[in-house]
Amino acid sequence: MRTTHQVRPPAPKPTAGPRIPAGMHGHVALSMLPALALFAVFFLVPLVVLAVTAFSRWGAGDFTFTGLDNYRQLFSDPVFWKAAGNTLFYCVASMVIQVPLGVAVGMTLAMKVPGWKLFRTIIFIPFVISGAAYALVFSMFYNPSYGLLNNLLAPVTGGQHDWLFNSGTARWAVAGTFVFIIGFVVVVVMAEVASIPTELLEAAEADGASLMQRQLFIVLPLLRNIIGTVILVRLLVDIGMFDLVYILTSGGPNDATTTLALYAYRAYVHGQWGYANAVGSVILILGATLIVTVRRVFRIGERAL
Amino acid sequence: MTAILPASTSTSDARRRSVRRTRPRSWALVLVYGFLTVVTLLSLLPAAWVMLSSFKTGPQVYSGKGFFPSPPTFQGYIDAFTEIHLHTYVLNTLLYAGGGTIGAVTVAFLAAYPLARYAFLGRNFLVAMFALALAIPLVGLATPVFFVVRELGMFDSRIGLVIFYSALELPFSFIVMRSFLLSLPPEVEEAALIDGAGYFTTLRRIILPLSRPAIATVCVVAFVKIWNEFFFANLLTVTQSNHNVQLALSGFKSQFGYNVTGAMAGATVIMLVPIALFLLLQRQVIAGLTAGAVK
Repeated sequence: MRTTHQVRPPAPKPTAGPRIPAGMHGHVALSMLPALALFAVFFLVPLVVLAVTAFSRWGAGDFTFTGLDNYRQLFSDPVFWKAAGNTLFYCVASMVIQVPLGVAVGMTLAMKVPGWKLFRTIIFIPFVISGAAYALVFSMFYNPSYGLLNNLLAPVTGGQHDWLFNSGTARWAVAGTFVFIIGFVVVVVMAEVASIPTELLEAAEADGASLMQRQLFIVLPLLRNIIGTVILVRLLVDIGMFDLVYILTSGGPNDATTTLALYAYRAYVHGQWGYANAVGSVILILGATLIVTVRRVFRIGERAL
Repeated sequence: MTAILPASTSTSDARRRSVRRTRPRSWALVLVYGFLTVVTLLSLLPAAWVMLSSFKTGPQVYSGKGFFPSPPTFQGYIDAFTEIHLHTYVLNTLLYAGGGTIGAVTVAFLAAYPLARYAFLGRNFLVAMFALALAIPLVGLATPVFFVVRELGMFDSRIGLVIFYSALELPFSFIVMRSFLLSLPPEVEEAALIDGAGYFTTLRRIILPLSRPAIATVCVVAFVKIWNEFFFANLLTVTQSNHNVQLALSGFKSQFGYNVTGAMAGATVIMLVPIALFLLLQRQVIAGLTAGAVK
Protein backbone atom coordinates (compact mmCIF):
# COMPACT_ATOMS: atom_id res chain seq x y z
CA MET A 1 0.00 0.00 0.00
CA ARG A 2 3.02 2.26 0.17
CA THR A 3 2.35 3.57 -3.34
CA THR A 4 -1.01 4.89 -2.21
CA HIS A 5 0.80 7.29 0.01
CA GLN A 6 3.45 7.99 -2.54
CA VAL A 7 0.84 9.51 -4.85
CA ARG A 8 -0.89 11.14 -1.89
CA PRO A 9 1.73 13.33 -0.27
CA PRO A 10 0.98 15.81 2.50
CA ALA A 11 -0.98 18.75 1.19
CA PRO A 12 1.19 21.77 0.32
CA LYS A 13 0.46 25.31 1.37
CA PRO A 14 -1.67 26.85 -1.35
CA THR A 15 0.82 29.59 -2.10
CA ALA A 16 3.91 27.40 -1.84
CA GLY A 17 6.47 27.29 -4.59
CA PRO A 18 8.79 29.66 -6.36
CA ARG A 19 7.73 32.12 -9.01
CA ILE A 20 8.19 31.21 -12.64
CA PRO A 21 11.83 32.01 -13.56
CA ALA A 22 12.34 34.97 -15.86
CA GLY A 23 12.00 34.11 -19.53
CA MET A 24 10.07 30.92 -18.89
CA HIS A 25 6.54 32.25 -18.91
CA GLY A 26 6.11 31.28 -22.52
CA HIS A 27 7.28 27.74 -21.88
CA VAL A 28 4.97 27.33 -18.92
CA ALA A 29 2.00 28.61 -20.91
CA LEU A 30 2.85 26.33 -23.83
CA SER A 31 3.15 23.42 -21.44
CA MET A 32 -0.33 23.97 -20.03
CA LEU A 33 -1.97 24.81 -23.34
CA PRO A 34 -2.96 21.30 -24.52
CA ALA A 35 -4.57 20.44 -21.19
CA LEU A 36 -6.46 23.74 -21.02
CA ALA A 37 -7.62 23.36 -24.63
CA LEU A 38 -8.89 19.80 -24.11
CA PHE A 39 -10.54 20.81 -20.87
CA ALA A 40 -12.23 23.85 -22.38
CA VAL A 41 -13.54 21.96 -25.41
CA PHE A 42 -14.81 18.83 -23.68
CA PHE A 43 -15.83 20.09 -20.23
CA LEU A 44 -16.41 23.84 -20.21
CA VAL A 45 -18.10 24.25 -23.60
CA PRO A 46 -20.54 21.37 -22.94
CA LEU A 47 -21.32 22.87 -19.55
CA VAL A 48 -22.18 26.21 -21.16
CA VAL A 49 -24.18 24.50 -23.91
CA LEU A 50 -26.12 22.62 -21.24
CA ALA A 51 -26.84 25.72 -19.21
CA VAL A 52 -28.17 27.59 -22.25
CA THR A 53 -30.10 24.86 -24.04
CA ALA A 54 -31.84 23.45 -20.99
CA PHE A 55 -34.19 26.43 -21.42
CA SER A 56 -34.93 25.79 -25.05
CA ARG A 57 -36.59 23.49 -27.51
CA TRP A 58 -33.61 22.14 -29.35
CA GLY A 59 -33.29 19.28 -31.77
CA ALA A 60 -31.86 18.56 -35.18
CA GLY A 61 -32.22 21.91 -36.90
CA ASP A 62 -34.53 24.02 -34.78
CA PHE A 63 -33.76 26.02 -31.69
CA THR A 64 -36.17 28.23 -29.70
CA PHE A 65 -35.93 29.53 -26.21
CA THR A 66 -38.89 28.31 -24.20
CA GLY A 67 -37.99 29.49 -20.74
CA LEU A 68 -38.91 27.02 -18.06
CA ASP A 69 -41.11 24.86 -20.30
CA ASN A 70 -38.73 21.89 -20.18
CA TYR A 71 -38.74 21.91 -16.41
CA ARG A 72 -42.51 22.26 -16.26
CA GLN A 73 -42.88 19.25 -18.55
CA LEU A 74 -40.24 17.39 -16.58
CA PHE A 75 -41.82 17.87 -13.20
CA SER A 76 -45.27 16.87 -14.46
CA ASP A 77 -44.04 13.64 -16.05
CA PRO A 78 -44.57 10.65 -13.73
CA VAL A 79 -41.80 8.75 -15.51
CA PHE A 80 -39.31 11.45 -14.52
CA TRP A 81 -40.30 11.03 -10.88
CA LYS A 82 -39.97 7.29 -11.24
CA ALA A 83 -36.50 7.72 -12.72
CA ALA A 84 -35.50 10.16 -9.98
CA GLY A 85 -36.90 7.82 -7.31
CA ASN A 86 -35.03 4.86 -8.76
CA THR A 87 -31.79 6.82 -8.99
CA LEU A 88 -32.06 7.71 -5.31
CA PHE A 89 -33.04 4.13 -4.54
CA TYR A 90 -29.80 2.90 -6.17
CA CYS A 91 -27.80 5.56 -4.31
CA VAL A 92 -29.23 4.46 -0.98
CA ALA A 93 -28.91 0.78 -1.86
CA SER A 94 -25.25 1.06 -2.73
CA MET A 95 -24.60 2.98 0.48
CA VAL A 96 -26.50 0.50 2.61
CA ILE A 97 -25.05 -2.57 0.88
CA GLN A 98 -21.52 -1.68 -0.16
CA VAL A 99 -20.34 0.61 2.58
CA PRO A 100 -21.01 -1.48 5.72
CA LEU A 101 -19.99 -4.72 4.00
CA GLY A 102 -16.91 -3.15 2.44
CA VAL A 103 -15.86 -1.50 5.69
CA ALA A 104 -16.32 -4.76 7.60
CA VAL A 105 -14.27 -6.71 5.06
CA GLY A 106 -11.64 -3.96 4.85
CA MET A 107 -11.23 -3.85 8.64
CA THR A 108 -11.04 -7.63 8.78
CA LEU A 109 -8.43 -7.83 6.03
CA ALA A 110 -6.45 -5.00 7.63
CA MET A 111 -5.67 -7.38 10.51
CA LYS A 112 -3.50 -9.11 7.93
CA VAL A 113 -4.36 -12.68 8.76
CA PRO A 114 -2.28 -15.10 6.67
CA GLY A 115 -3.62 -15.17 3.12
CA TRP A 116 -5.06 -11.65 3.25
CA LYS A 117 -3.47 -10.70 -0.07
CA LEU A 118 -5.23 -13.49 -1.90
CA PHE A 119 -8.59 -12.50 -0.40
CA ARG A 120 -8.01 -8.88 -1.30
CA THR A 121 -7.06 -9.73 -4.87
CA ILE A 122 -10.15 -11.84 -5.49
CA ILE A 123 -12.52 -9.41 -3.80
CA PHE A 124 -11.13 -6.55 -5.90
CA ILE A 125 -11.53 -8.33 -9.25
CA PRO A 126 -15.22 -7.47 -9.83
CA PHE A 127 -14.30 -3.80 -9.54
CA VAL A 128 -12.04 -3.89 -12.62
CA ILE A 129 -14.71 -5.61 -14.72
CA SER A 130 -16.71 -3.14 -16.81
CA GLY A 131 -20.32 -2.32 -16.00
CA ALA A 132 -21.31 -3.58 -19.44
CA ALA A 133 -19.63 -6.97 -19.00
CA TYR A 134 -21.02 -7.27 -15.51
CA ALA A 135 -24.48 -6.47 -16.80
CA LEU A 136 -24.19 -9.30 -19.30
CA VAL A 137 -23.00 -11.61 -16.54
CA PHE A 138 -25.98 -10.68 -14.38
CA SER A 139 -28.51 -10.92 -17.18
CA MET A 140 -27.42 -14.56 -17.36
CA PHE A 141 -27.12 -14.96 -13.61
CA TYR A 142 -30.75 -13.83 -13.16
CA ASN A 143 -32.06 -15.64 -16.23
CA PRO A 144 -35.30 -17.42 -15.35
CA SER A 145 -34.61 -20.58 -17.34
CA TYR A 146 -30.89 -21.29 -16.94
CA GLY A 147 -29.58 -18.61 -14.54
CA LEU A 148 -27.40 -19.67 -11.65
CA LEU A 149 -29.52 -17.85 -9.07
CA ASN A 150 -32.65 -19.82 -9.89
CA ASN A 151 -30.72 -23.06 -9.90
CA LEU A 152 -29.26 -22.30 -6.50
CA LEU A 153 -32.57 -21.16 -5.09
CA ALA A 154 -34.73 -23.85 -6.69
CA PRO A 155 -34.78 -25.99 -3.56
CA VAL A 156 -35.96 -22.99 -1.51
CA THR A 157 -38.34 -21.17 -3.83
CA GLY A 158 -39.37 -24.31 -5.63
CA GLY A 159 -39.63 -22.65 -8.99
CA GLN A 160 -38.28 -20.21 -11.49
CA HIS A 161 -38.54 -16.52 -11.05
CA ASP A 162 -37.87 -13.77 -13.59
CA TRP A 163 -36.09 -11.49 -11.15
CA LEU A 164 -35.27 -8.72 -13.61
CA PHE A 165 -38.54 -8.47 -15.48
CA ASN A 166 -40.99 -8.73 -12.66
CA SER A 167 -41.82 -5.20 -11.53
CA GLY A 168 -41.88 -6.37 -7.90
CA THR A 169 -38.28 -7.56 -7.86
CA ALA A 170 -36.64 -5.70 -10.78
CA ARG A 171 -35.21 -2.78 -8.81
CA TRP A 172 -34.00 -5.08 -6.07
CA ALA A 173 -32.37 -7.40 -8.57
CA VAL A 174 -30.44 -4.49 -10.08
CA ALA A 175 -29.42 -3.23 -6.64
CA GLY A 176 -28.51 -6.78 -5.61
CA THR A 177 -25.59 -6.70 -8.02
CA PHE A 178 -23.95 -4.12 -5.74
CA VAL A 179 -23.18 -6.83 -3.20
CA PHE A 180 -20.58 -8.24 -5.54
CA ILE A 181 -18.66 -5.02 -6.16
CA ILE A 182 -17.24 -4.05 -2.77
CA GLY A 183 -13.55 -4.24 -3.75
CA PHE A 184 -13.06 -0.51 -3.97
CA VAL A 185 -14.41 0.18 -0.49
CA VAL A 186 -12.32 -2.67 0.92
CA VAL A 187 -9.06 -1.42 -0.53
CA VAL A 188 -9.57 2.21 0.47
CA VAL A 189 -10.52 1.20 4.02
CA MET A 190 -7.47 -1.06 4.27
CA ALA A 191 -5.18 1.79 3.26
CA GLU A 192 -6.74 4.03 5.85
CA VAL A 193 -6.46 1.45 8.64
CA ALA A 194 -2.79 0.98 7.74
CA SER A 195 -2.22 4.69 8.35
CA ILE A 196 -3.53 4.53 11.93
CA PRO A 197 -0.54 4.83 14.30
CA THR A 198 0.13 1.42 15.89
CA GLU A 199 0.92 3.05 19.26
CA LEU A 200 -2.75 3.91 19.54
CA LEU A 201 -3.84 0.29 19.23
CA GLU A 202 -0.98 -0.94 21.39
CA ALA A 203 -1.92 1.45 24.16
CA ALA A 204 -5.51 0.30 23.99
CA GLU A 205 -4.46 -3.31 24.15
CA ALA A 206 -2.20 -2.63 27.09
CA ASP A 207 -5.21 -1.10 28.79
CA GLY A 208 -7.03 -4.36 28.27
CA ALA A 209 -9.26 -3.53 25.31
CA SER A 210 -10.29 -6.65 23.44
CA LEU A 211 -9.83 -7.03 19.69
CA MET A 212 -13.50 -6.31 19.09
CA GLN A 213 -13.40 -3.23 21.33
CA ARG A 214 -10.33 -1.90 19.55
CA GLN A 215 -11.96 -2.36 16.16
CA LEU A 216 -15.26 -0.77 17.15
CA PHE A 217 -14.12 2.05 19.39
CA ILE A 218 -10.73 3.02 17.99
CA VAL A 219 -10.44 1.94 14.36
CA LEU A 220 -14.02 2.54 13.21
CA PRO A 221 -14.31 6.14 14.47
CA LEU A 222 -11.00 6.96 12.77
CA LEU A 223 -12.49 5.76 9.50
CA ARG A 224 -15.20 8.42 9.45
CA ASN A 225 -13.41 10.57 6.90
CA ILE A 226 -12.65 7.74 4.51
CA ILE A 227 -16.18 6.35 4.80
CA GLY A 228 -17.47 9.75 3.75
CA THR A 229 -15.07 9.77 0.81
CA VAL A 230 -16.15 6.32 -0.26
CA ILE A 231 -19.81 7.31 -0.07
CA LEU A 232 -19.00 10.36 -2.20
CA VAL A 233 -17.30 8.30 -4.87
CA ARG A 234 -20.12 5.78 -4.93
CA LEU A 235 -22.80 8.49 -5.10
CA LEU A 236 -21.08 10.07 -8.08
CA VAL A 237 -21.20 6.78 -9.93
CA ASP A 238 -24.75 5.95 -8.86
CA ILE A 239 -26.27 9.32 -9.75
CA GLY A 240 -25.15 8.76 -13.32
CA MET A 241 -26.03 5.08 -13.31
CA PHE A 242 -26.56 3.95 -16.89
CA ASP A 243 -24.62 0.95 -18.24
CA LEU A 244 -25.94 -1.65 -15.86
CA VAL A 245 -29.61 -0.73 -16.17
CA TYR A 246 -29.46 0.00 -19.90
CA ILE A 247 -28.05 -3.43 -20.64
CA LEU A 248 -29.88 -5.43 -17.97
CA THR A 249 -33.41 -4.13 -18.45
CA SER A 250 -33.35 -1.00 -20.67
CA GLY A 251 -35.20 0.61 -17.78
CA GLY A 252 -38.10 -1.84 -17.87
CA PRO A 253 -40.38 -3.45 -16.98
CA ASN A 254 -42.71 -0.48 -17.24
CA ASP A 255 -39.91 1.94 -16.18
CA ALA A 256 -39.51 0.09 -12.88
CA THR A 257 -35.69 0.21 -13.08
CA THR A 258 -35.10 3.32 -15.18
CA THR A 259 -32.71 6.03 -13.99
CA LEU A 260 -32.30 9.75 -14.65
CA ALA A 261 -29.39 9.07 -16.99
CA LEU A 262 -31.51 6.63 -18.97
CA TYR A 263 -34.42 9.07 -19.03
CA ALA A 264 -32.15 11.81 -20.39
CA TYR A 265 -30.67 9.41 -22.91
CA ARG A 266 -34.14 8.53 -24.25
CA ALA A 267 -34.96 12.20 -24.74
CA TYR A 268 -31.65 12.61 -26.59
CA VAL A 269 -32.38 9.62 -28.82
CA HIS A 270 -35.79 11.09 -29.68
CA GLY A 271 -34.12 14.33 -30.75
CA GLN A 272 -35.40 16.34 -27.77
CA TRP A 273 -31.98 17.74 -26.94
CA GLY A 274 -33.19 20.69 -24.94
CA TYR A 275 -35.33 18.42 -22.80
CA ALA A 276 -32.45 15.96 -22.40
CA ASN A 277 -30.29 18.82 -21.18
CA ALA A 278 -32.89 19.91 -18.66
CA VAL A 279 -32.68 16.37 -17.26
CA GLY A 280 -28.89 16.60 -17.45
CA SER A 281 -28.97 19.76 -15.38
CA VAL A 282 -31.06 17.95 -12.77
CA ILE A 283 -28.43 15.19 -12.63
CA LEU A 284 -25.62 17.72 -12.17
CA ILE A 285 -27.48 19.71 -9.52
CA LEU A 286 -28.48 16.55 -7.68
CA GLY A 287 -24.85 15.43 -7.78
CA ALA A 288 -23.58 18.75 -6.44
CA THR A 289 -26.20 18.77 -3.67
CA LEU A 290 -25.39 15.25 -2.53
CA ILE A 291 -21.66 15.95 -2.61
CA VAL A 292 -21.97 19.09 -0.53
CA THR A 293 -24.22 17.27 1.94
CA VAL A 294 -21.92 14.29 2.33
CA ARG A 295 -18.88 16.54 2.72
CA ARG A 296 -20.67 18.45 5.47
CA VAL A 297 -21.85 15.35 7.29
CA PHE A 298 -18.47 13.66 7.21
CA ARG A 299 -16.47 16.90 7.45
CA ILE A 300 -14.33 15.92 4.50
CA GLY A 301 -13.25 19.43 3.56
CA GLU A 302 -11.19 19.60 6.73
CA ARG A 303 -8.52 17.53 5.10
CA ALA A 304 -6.91 19.25 2.13
CA LEU A 305 -7.69 18.04 -1.37
CA MET B 1 19.21 -1.02 39.99
CA THR B 2 20.98 -3.88 38.38
CA ALA B 3 18.49 -6.24 39.91
CA ILE B 4 15.55 -4.34 38.53
CA LEU B 5 16.90 -3.85 35.06
CA PRO B 6 16.66 -7.42 33.74
CA ALA B 7 13.22 -7.76 35.27
CA SER B 8 11.94 -4.62 33.62
CA THR B 9 13.30 -5.59 30.22
CA SER B 10 11.72 -8.98 30.47
CA THR B 11 8.30 -7.50 31.28
CA SER B 12 8.60 -5.01 28.45
CA ASP B 13 9.60 -7.90 26.19
CA ALA B 14 6.56 -9.80 27.30
CA ARG B 15 4.43 -6.77 26.79
CA ARG B 16 5.78 -6.17 23.33
CA ARG B 17 5.14 -9.77 22.45
CA SER B 18 1.57 -9.59 23.67
CA VAL B 19 1.08 -6.31 21.86
CA ARG B 20 2.41 -7.69 18.62
CA ARG B 21 -0.35 -10.25 18.74
CA THR B 22 -2.92 -7.90 17.25
CA ARG B 23 -4.18 -10.88 15.34
CA PRO B 24 -7.32 -12.56 16.62
CA ARG B 25 -7.41 -15.68 18.81
CA SER B 26 -8.11 -19.06 17.31
CA TRP B 27 -11.89 -19.08 17.70
CA ALA B 28 -12.01 -15.59 16.26
CA LEU B 29 -9.77 -16.74 13.41
CA VAL B 30 -12.40 -19.28 12.43
CA LEU B 31 -14.97 -16.49 12.25
CA VAL B 32 -12.61 -14.24 10.31
CA TYR B 33 -11.79 -16.88 7.74
CA GLY B 34 -15.40 -17.94 7.49
CA PHE B 35 -16.51 -14.38 6.81
CA LEU B 36 -13.72 -13.73 4.29
CA THR B 37 -14.39 -16.99 2.49
CA VAL B 38 -18.10 -16.24 2.09
CA VAL B 39 -17.42 -12.72 0.77
CA THR B 40 -14.68 -13.94 -1.55
CA LEU B 41 -16.80 -16.73 -2.99
CA LEU B 42 -19.64 -14.28 -3.47
CA SER B 43 -17.37 -11.85 -5.33
CA LEU B 44 -16.12 -14.63 -7.53
CA LEU B 45 -19.35 -16.45 -8.18
CA PRO B 46 -21.20 -14.63 -11.01
CA ALA B 47 -18.19 -13.92 -13.21
CA ALA B 48 -16.62 -17.33 -12.55
CA TRP B 49 -19.88 -19.04 -13.43
CA VAL B 50 -20.04 -17.19 -16.77
CA MET B 51 -16.37 -17.94 -17.49
CA LEU B 52 -16.84 -21.63 -16.78
CA SER B 53 -20.10 -21.73 -18.69
CA SER B 54 -18.39 -20.25 -21.75
CA PHE B 55 -16.81 -23.68 -22.21
CA LYS B 56 -20.15 -25.45 -22.05
CA THR B 57 -22.31 -26.45 -24.97
CA GLY B 58 -25.51 -24.50 -25.55
CA PRO B 59 -27.74 -27.36 -24.40
CA GLN B 60 -25.74 -27.79 -21.21
CA VAL B 61 -26.13 -24.09 -20.38
CA TYR B 62 -29.86 -24.15 -21.05
CA SER B 63 -30.32 -27.29 -18.98
CA GLY B 64 -29.01 -25.28 -16.02
CA LYS B 65 -27.32 -28.40 -14.70
CA GLY B 66 -23.74 -28.66 -13.52
CA PHE B 67 -21.37 -25.88 -12.53
CA PHE B 68 -18.48 -27.27 -14.58
CA PRO B 69 -18.51 -27.82 -18.35
CA SER B 70 -18.73 -31.45 -19.36
CA PRO B 71 -17.41 -32.00 -21.91
CA PRO B 72 -15.61 -28.64 -22.37
CA THR B 73 -15.93 -27.06 -25.80
CA PHE B 74 -14.44 -24.01 -27.52
CA GLN B 75 -17.45 -23.54 -29.77
CA GLY B 76 -18.48 -20.37 -27.93
CA TYR B 77 -15.08 -18.80 -28.60
CA ILE B 78 -15.11 -19.87 -32.24
CA ASP B 79 -18.56 -18.28 -32.60
CA ALA B 80 -17.51 -15.08 -30.87
CA PHE B 81 -14.66 -14.54 -33.31
CA THR B 82 -16.26 -15.85 -36.52
CA GLU B 83 -19.85 -14.67 -36.14
CA ILE B 84 -19.43 -11.40 -34.33
CA HIS B 85 -15.80 -10.64 -35.29
CA LEU B 86 -14.75 -9.93 -31.75
CA HIS B 87 -11.18 -9.21 -32.88
CA THR B 88 -12.30 -6.05 -34.75
CA TYR B 89 -13.70 -4.65 -31.54
CA VAL B 90 -10.67 -5.74 -29.56
CA LEU B 91 -8.39 -3.91 -32.00
CA ASN B 92 -10.59 -0.79 -31.89
CA THR B 93 -10.57 -0.80 -28.11
CA LEU B 94 -6.81 -1.27 -27.99
CA LEU B 95 -6.54 1.84 -30.17
CA TYR B 96 -8.96 3.84 -28.00
CA ALA B 97 -7.45 2.74 -24.71
CA GLY B 98 -3.84 2.95 -25.90
CA GLY B 99 -4.23 6.27 -27.74
CA GLY B 100 -6.46 7.81 -25.10
CA THR B 101 -4.07 6.83 -22.33
CA ILE B 102 -1.01 8.22 -24.09
CA GLY B 103 -2.88 11.41 -24.92
CA ALA B 104 -4.25 11.92 -21.42
CA VAL B 105 -0.99 11.14 -19.63
CA THR B 106 1.17 13.30 -21.91
CA VAL B 107 -1.12 16.30 -21.69
CA ALA B 108 -1.62 15.82 -17.95
CA PHE B 109 2.12 15.55 -17.31
CA LEU B 110 2.88 18.73 -19.26
CA ALA B 111 0.25 20.68 -17.32
CA ALA B 112 0.86 19.08 -13.93
CA TYR B 113 4.52 20.09 -13.78
CA PRO B 114 4.16 23.89 -13.84
CA LEU B 115 0.96 23.71 -11.77
CA ALA B 116 2.81 21.71 -9.12
CA ARG B 117 6.04 23.67 -9.19
CA TYR B 118 5.40 27.35 -9.66
CA ALA B 119 3.26 29.83 -7.82
CA PHE B 120 1.39 32.16 -10.15
CA LEU B 121 -1.89 33.96 -10.40
CA GLY B 122 -4.78 31.59 -11.11
CA ARG B 123 -2.89 28.43 -10.27
CA ASN B 124 -5.21 27.31 -7.50
CA PHE B 125 -8.20 28.09 -9.68
CA LEU B 126 -6.90 25.86 -12.48
CA VAL B 127 -6.11 23.02 -10.09
CA ALA B 128 -9.55 23.28 -8.50
CA MET B 129 -11.12 23.24 -11.96
CA PHE B 130 -9.56 19.87 -12.79
CA ALA B 131 -10.44 18.50 -9.37
CA LEU B 132 -14.03 19.63 -9.80
CA ALA B 133 -14.28 17.89 -13.17
CA LEU B 134 -13.63 14.62 -11.33
CA ALA B 135 -16.69 15.27 -9.18
CA ILE B 136 -19.19 15.75 -12.03
CA PRO B 137 -21.54 12.95 -13.08
CA LEU B 138 -20.56 13.28 -16.74
CA VAL B 139 -23.61 11.47 -18.10
CA GLY B 140 -25.45 14.71 -17.35
CA LEU B 141 -23.40 16.34 -20.10
CA ALA B 142 -24.18 13.66 -22.70
CA THR B 143 -26.05 15.73 -25.27
CA PRO B 144 -23.72 18.76 -25.19
CA VAL B 145 -20.71 16.45 -25.50
CA PHE B 146 -22.31 14.78 -28.51
CA PHE B 147 -23.03 18.21 -29.99
CA VAL B 148 -19.47 19.50 -29.50
CA VAL B 149 -17.95 16.31 -30.86
CA ARG B 150 -20.20 16.42 -33.92
CA GLU B 151 -19.48 20.10 -34.58
CA LEU B 152 -15.77 19.30 -34.53
CA GLY B 153 -16.32 16.59 -37.14
CA MET B 154 -15.22 13.94 -34.67
CA PHE B 155 -18.50 12.05 -34.43
CA ASP B 156 -18.29 8.35 -35.26
CA SER B 157 -14.56 8.64 -35.95
CA ARG B 158 -11.81 6.54 -34.40
CA ILE B 159 -9.40 9.44 -34.07
CA GLY B 160 -12.21 11.55 -32.63
CA LEU B 161 -12.82 8.97 -29.94
CA VAL B 162 -9.10 8.79 -29.09
CA ILE B 163 -9.05 12.58 -28.61
CA PHE B 164 -12.26 12.46 -26.58
CA TYR B 165 -10.91 9.74 -24.29
CA SER B 166 -7.71 11.76 -23.81
CA ALA B 167 -9.92 14.57 -22.52
CA LEU B 168 -12.09 12.22 -20.45
CA GLU B 169 -9.12 10.77 -18.54
CA LEU B 170 -7.31 14.12 -18.30
CA PRO B 171 -8.67 15.34 -14.92
CA PHE B 172 -7.87 12.05 -13.18
CA SER B 173 -4.39 11.82 -14.73
CA PHE B 174 -3.69 15.44 -13.93
CA ILE B 175 -4.66 15.21 -10.26
CA VAL B 176 -2.62 12.06 -9.62
CA MET B 177 0.41 13.35 -11.57
CA ARG B 178 0.36 16.69 -9.80
CA SER B 179 0.16 15.10 -6.34
CA PHE B 180 3.19 13.05 -7.22
CA LEU B 181 5.17 16.00 -8.61
CA LEU B 182 4.44 17.99 -5.45
CA SER B 183 6.32 15.32 -3.52
CA LEU B 184 9.50 15.79 -5.62
CA PRO B 185 11.88 18.28 -3.96
CA PRO B 186 12.49 21.32 -6.21
CA GLU B 187 16.27 20.94 -5.81
CA VAL B 188 15.97 18.07 -8.25
CA GLU B 189 15.78 20.29 -11.29
CA GLU B 190 17.25 23.53 -9.95
CA ALA B 191 20.77 22.40 -10.81
CA ALA B 192 19.74 21.57 -14.34
CA LEU B 193 18.07 24.93 -14.79
CA ILE B 194 21.13 26.73 -13.44
CA ASP B 195 23.28 24.76 -15.87
CA GLY B 196 21.28 26.42 -18.59
CA ALA B 197 19.06 23.52 -19.64
CA GLY B 198 15.77 24.78 -21.07
CA TYR B 199 12.33 24.17 -19.63
CA PHE B 200 11.34 21.28 -21.86
CA THR B 201 14.80 19.70 -21.69
CA THR B 202 14.61 19.69 -17.89
CA LEU B 203 11.13 18.28 -18.07
CA ARG B 204 12.20 15.46 -20.36
CA ARG B 205 15.62 14.64 -18.92
CA ILE B 206 15.04 15.14 -15.19
CA ILE B 207 11.37 15.15 -14.27
CA LEU B 208 10.09 12.52 -16.68
CA PRO B 209 12.41 9.71 -15.50
CA LEU B 210 11.67 10.51 -11.86
CA SER B 211 7.92 10.41 -12.51
CA ARG B 212 7.94 6.86 -13.80
CA PRO B 213 6.02 5.33 -10.85
CA ALA B 214 3.21 7.87 -11.13
CA ILE B 215 3.10 7.58 -14.90
CA ALA B 216 2.86 3.79 -14.68
CA THR B 217 0.03 4.06 -12.17
CA VAL B 218 -1.93 6.56 -14.24
CA CYS B 219 -1.36 4.60 -17.46
CA VAL B 220 -2.71 1.32 -16.10
CA VAL B 221 -5.77 2.90 -14.56
CA ALA B 222 -6.59 5.09 -17.57
CA PHE B 223 -6.18 2.12 -19.90
CA VAL B 224 -8.53 -0.05 -17.87
CA LYS B 225 -11.08 2.75 -17.55
CA ILE B 226 -11.15 3.42 -21.29
CA TRP B 227 -11.23 -0.30 -22.06
CA ASN B 228 -14.31 -0.56 -19.83
CA GLU B 229 -16.00 2.60 -21.08
CA PHE B 230 -19.50 2.12 -22.44
CA PHE B 231 -21.57 5.28 -22.19
CA PHE B 232 -19.62 7.64 -24.45
CA ALA B 233 -18.64 4.89 -26.89
CA ASN B 234 -22.35 4.28 -27.29
CA LEU B 235 -23.05 8.00 -27.63
CA LEU B 236 -20.26 8.89 -30.04
CA THR B 237 -20.10 5.97 -32.47
CA VAL B 238 -22.78 4.51 -34.74
CA THR B 239 -20.91 2.45 -37.33
CA GLN B 240 -20.34 -1.05 -36.06
CA SER B 241 -16.76 -1.09 -37.30
CA ASN B 242 -16.02 1.80 -34.89
CA HIS B 243 -17.59 0.15 -31.85
CA ASN B 244 -15.54 -0.83 -28.83
CA VAL B 245 -15.72 -4.18 -27.04
CA GLN B 246 -18.26 -3.03 -24.47
CA LEU B 247 -20.70 -2.11 -27.23
CA ALA B 248 -20.01 -5.40 -28.95
CA LEU B 249 -21.08 -7.03 -25.68
CA SER B 250 -24.48 -5.41 -25.68
CA GLY B 251 -24.78 -6.51 -29.31
CA PHE B 252 -24.41 -10.11 -28.18
CA LYS B 253 -27.69 -9.94 -26.36
CA SER B 254 -29.77 -9.46 -29.48
CA GLN B 255 -27.53 -11.10 -32.03
CA PHE B 256 -26.76 -14.05 -29.85
CA GLY B 257 -30.28 -14.42 -28.56
CA TYR B 258 -29.89 -18.03 -29.56
CA ASN B 259 -26.15 -18.36 -28.90
CA VAL B 260 -25.63 -17.91 -25.20
CA THR B 261 -22.21 -19.57 -25.12
CA GLY B 262 -20.94 -17.13 -27.78
CA ALA B 263 -21.98 -14.25 -25.55
CA MET B 264 -20.38 -15.88 -22.52
CA ALA B 265 -17.14 -16.46 -24.42
CA GLY B 266 -17.12 -12.86 -25.62
CA ALA B 267 -17.78 -11.57 -22.13
CA THR B 268 -14.95 -13.74 -20.80
CA VAL B 269 -12.43 -12.35 -23.30
CA ILE B 270 -13.50 -8.80 -22.54
CA MET B 271 -13.36 -9.28 -18.77
CA LEU B 272 -10.01 -11.03 -18.86
CA VAL B 273 -8.08 -8.04 -20.22
CA PRO B 274 -8.59 -5.75 -17.20
CA ILE B 275 -8.39 -8.73 -14.83
CA ALA B 276 -5.02 -9.76 -16.30
CA LEU B 277 -3.72 -6.18 -16.11
CA PHE B 278 -4.88 -5.97 -12.53
CA LEU B 279 -3.25 -9.24 -11.53
CA LEU B 280 0.04 -8.26 -13.19
CA LEU B 281 0.12 -4.67 -11.93
CA GLN B 282 -1.90 -4.96 -8.75
CA ARG B 283 0.01 -2.33 -6.84
CA GLN B 284 -0.36 0.29 -9.56
CA VAL B 285 -4.06 -0.39 -10.11
CA ILE B 286 -4.93 -0.19 -6.43
CA ALA B 287 -2.73 2.85 -5.83
CA GLY B 288 -4.13 4.66 -8.84
CA LEU B 289 -7.77 3.90 -8.24
CA THR B 290 -7.63 4.77 -4.58
CA ALA B 291 -5.51 7.89 -5.08
CA GLY B 292 -7.65 9.14 -7.94
CA ALA B 293 -10.83 8.59 -6.03
CA VAL B 294 -9.70 10.01 -2.72
CA LYS B 295 -8.85 13.36 -4.29
